[in-house]
Amino acid sequence: MSATGDLAWLTVAEAAELLRTKKLSPVEYANALIARTERHDKNYNAYLRATPELALEDARRAEGEIMRGDWRGPFHGVPYGLKDIVDYTGLPTTAHSKILQGNIAKADAVVTQKLRAAGGVFMGKLSTHEFAIGGPSFDLPWPPARNPWNRDHFCGGSSSGSGTATGAGFLPAAIGTDTGGSVRNPASMCGVIGMKPTYGLVSRRGVVPLAFSLDHVGTLTRTVRDNALMLDLIAGHDAQDPGSANHATGGYTAQLGRDVKGIRVGVLRHFYTRDMQADPEIAGGIEAAAKKLAELGAEVCEISTAPLGEYIACNRTILTSEAFAIHEKWMRERPQDYGALARERLMAGAFVRAADYVNATRLRRKLTDAFHALFCEVDVIITSSSMDPACRIDDPKAVEYTYGRQSRAPFNITGSPALSVPTGFSKNGLPLGMQIVGKPFSEALIYRVAHAYEQATDWVSMHPTLV
Amino acid sequence: MTNDNLTIDDVRKMAADIGMTRLSEGQSQELLRATQAARARRASLHTDKLTPADEPAHVFSLTSGNGR
Repeated sequence: MSATGDLAWLTVAEAAELLRTKKLSPVEYANALIARTERHDKNYNAYLRATPELALEDARRAEGEIMRGDWRGPFHGVPYGLKDIVDYTGLPTTAHSKILQGNIAKADAVVTQKLRAAGGVFMGKLSTHEFAIGGPSFDLPWPPARNPWNRDHFCGGSSSGSGTATGAGFLPAAIGTDTGGSVRNPASMCGVIGMKPTYGLVSRRGVVPLAFSLDHVGTLTRTVRDNALMLDLIAGHDAQDPGSANHATGGYTAQLGRDVKGIRVGVLRHFYTRDMQADPEIAGGIEAAAKKLAELGAEVCEISTAPLGEYIACNRTILTSEAFAIHEKWMRERPQDYGALARERLMAGAFVRAADYVNATRLRRKLTDAFHALFCEVDVIITSSSMDPACRIDDPKAVEYTYGRQSRAPFNITGSPALSVPTGFSKNGLPLGMQIVGKPFSEALIYRVAHAYEQATDWVSMHPTLV
Repeated sequence: MTNDNLTIDDVRKMAADIGMTRLSEGQSQELLRATQAARARRASLHTDKLTPADEPAHVFSLTSGNGR
């Protein structure tokens, strides 16, 4: 087996074909990405714990199996990483927090089991905001991840290392989690594809919870096809996850390559023009994408829903209440062991009235029913993700200002599948993004629309120059 | 109690009532800010839209039949 091209930017689909046909060695591939990570990650902090020894063990096993003709499928020999709130047997799951230092996982998370069974090459545990809520923070045992397009800028979060590592070419695929936007935010800011699937589509067992009724496990990759391939592997019912949906899964690549003629695309414009005022470059990117989809044959119209603020208030009331219930004991006993950002954001749930929590869940049902009714009029919806390009990571006021300026949380409330896709770059060279949202379990259609848009633009071919 | 009259002493007492007795002065200030923000958010929860029959989403489930 021999190397082909720049291995850092191979897609999962490209790598899979090279690996299957024995033109690329899994060991050579893993070694190339290990070397790249060792060379550059000191400047980006994508990894909390890189595990090159485990990667090479997986890669050698994959190589032996492929050489024997036992190719397991498109993830066999492909490197991946896990946000460090996802369990991998024998390794610490720290949630990027002093609180969980030394918390060794006794079993794999379900998503880890599935990636290992597919023959993936595990590269390590990736940075997160503390407990998937507090960051970017400089008062934790490990530094925060930084943006691969400009290390002075925020990379989004909370699946920050997953976005950075994928965007930086340290690996082609990573797992993140999303409770108020934490897969889609780093995807938008790092210029990669991030899917928050339908609530319950992917098991959460073995993942440190933030808020039970809003938590989703999701996928970050550099192309739409890779994202669909990865979701194919990890989706599925888990009877031991109370939130798991017992629904047919798979076939997420089935519609890729089909055109979008006649697909009804609703532009949810008031989120980023009226409810919040997005940066003009963000808004311009979405408008250009809508125009592009129309040129491709989609039927584009404007739609509306409840004001963004209602969704966000509902999300934050539920999120902080459920999260504080998880953290109350540690808040009593070890408040000093949290970073300041996580502590303050978690403490927001300390004194939420029970009636307010219940009313938020009652509003959630109304908002969800009304939102799903929109899919009588349209097939997919496009709207903003972040309202601003990535701010400087060392500017706490800018981080605080932009943290809540997003329109991702509504789809944690509704449980809808939502995909973040790049729409270009700001004048400063930072990625811009939007979301494509569908009705429950319509991931295949979302990928179809995203793929058609991706193929009609050239954002996917652009890569950052690392320092 | 509204945000206007919520004081650091109030918050310290509320914290003590739920066993959070180890907060430093700075951490108590964080709790005050967090509690004020949470209360301010209540205004955006439009409970006036709810009728007595509106059920909570305690059991949140989805099927492909949702939507179209």
